[in-house]
Amino acid sequence: MQLLFAAPALPLDEAGKYVAGAYVVFVVLLVVYVAIMAAKVQRIERELREVAAIAERNKETEAAPGREAEEAAPRV
Amino acid sequence: MYGKGLKPLSIATVAMVALSLSLVFFYAPLDGDQGFIQKIFYLHVPLAIVALVGFVLGGVFAIAHLRTDNRKWDAYSYVSIHISVIFGVAVLITGAIWAKASWGHWWVWDEPTLVSFLIVFLLYATYYPFRYAIEDRDRQARYASVFAVTAGAFVPLNFMAVRMAQSLVHPRTFATAEGGMPGEMMLTFLCSLAAMALLWTTLVKFELTAKSASGQVKRLRRALDAPVAGGGSRIAPEVS
Repeated sequence: MQLLFAAPALPLDEAGKYVAGAYVVFVVLLVVYVAIMAAKVQRIERELREVAAIAERNKETEAAPGREAEEAAPRV
Repeated sequence: MYGKGLKPLSIATVAMVALSLSLVFFYAPLDGDQGFIQKIFYLHVPLAIVALVGFVLGGVFAIAHLRTDNRKWDAYSYVSIHISVIFGVAVLITGAIWAKASWGHWWVWDEPTLVSFLIVFLLYATYYPFRYAIEDRDRQARYASVFAVTAGAFVPLNFMAVRMAQSLVHPRTFATAEGGMPGEMMLTFLCSLAAMALLWTTLVKFELTAKSASGQVKRLRRALDAPVAGGGSRIAPEVS
């Protein structure tokens, strides 16, 4: 374990790779998280569009009840 | 409701992260012992502190949930733990990179600081399967809160035990007999800590807003007697 204490500071060109690696890992994790959240928000938007379409259909049905009954009646 | 103030918070986070990165690379002096590699300290340590505080906060929110039976607090607890686990992954990876550069090893098993953080991380990693295993939503929220309180109490105890233990290679930077960091390093560290705390808060708020929006859509579907798409998540708490 004493060898670990005696390890000298790395030269800049070698240390730079490790420092860049650590910061890149952090950025990548953040980007992955944001991408997952973006997918989630897209799904919510799609669901909201579907709900809006259902609400509009319901409103049209309520506005024209006679037409619906006419369509449902058997034709002779 | 959850999205209120998210925009200014996000702007403040971006500004603070930019400021802290500028201080890290253009203001803070090079460490006499470790040299340039010490720059990882300004990322690794604030991430670790914020992750651990986040775990404790998850426990505090869980107490509020158990006391009031308000599902809002369960959502806060779940999201706090969720974001802290992500921060925990970053702590472990950046720590391993720093260890490889400084000590020549990716991991040192007889170092209490490293192993204790791994234990805390693995403990919280079991939170998801634990929550997922319970079908009933009320029981799920209650049991998850009990887990969060117990694990949250374990975090400071674990931290104190590590501080009292004999460190082999991991440095004790704060409150040591040898003195603290120079002023420039301390200022940079505090800015980095504030940036990470802001980032954690923003992500928690962002996640809560998304969950709230998803919950509202499900409520709308139920009100319109339409089938709920996907049946909803069984792990994540529904926020309305």
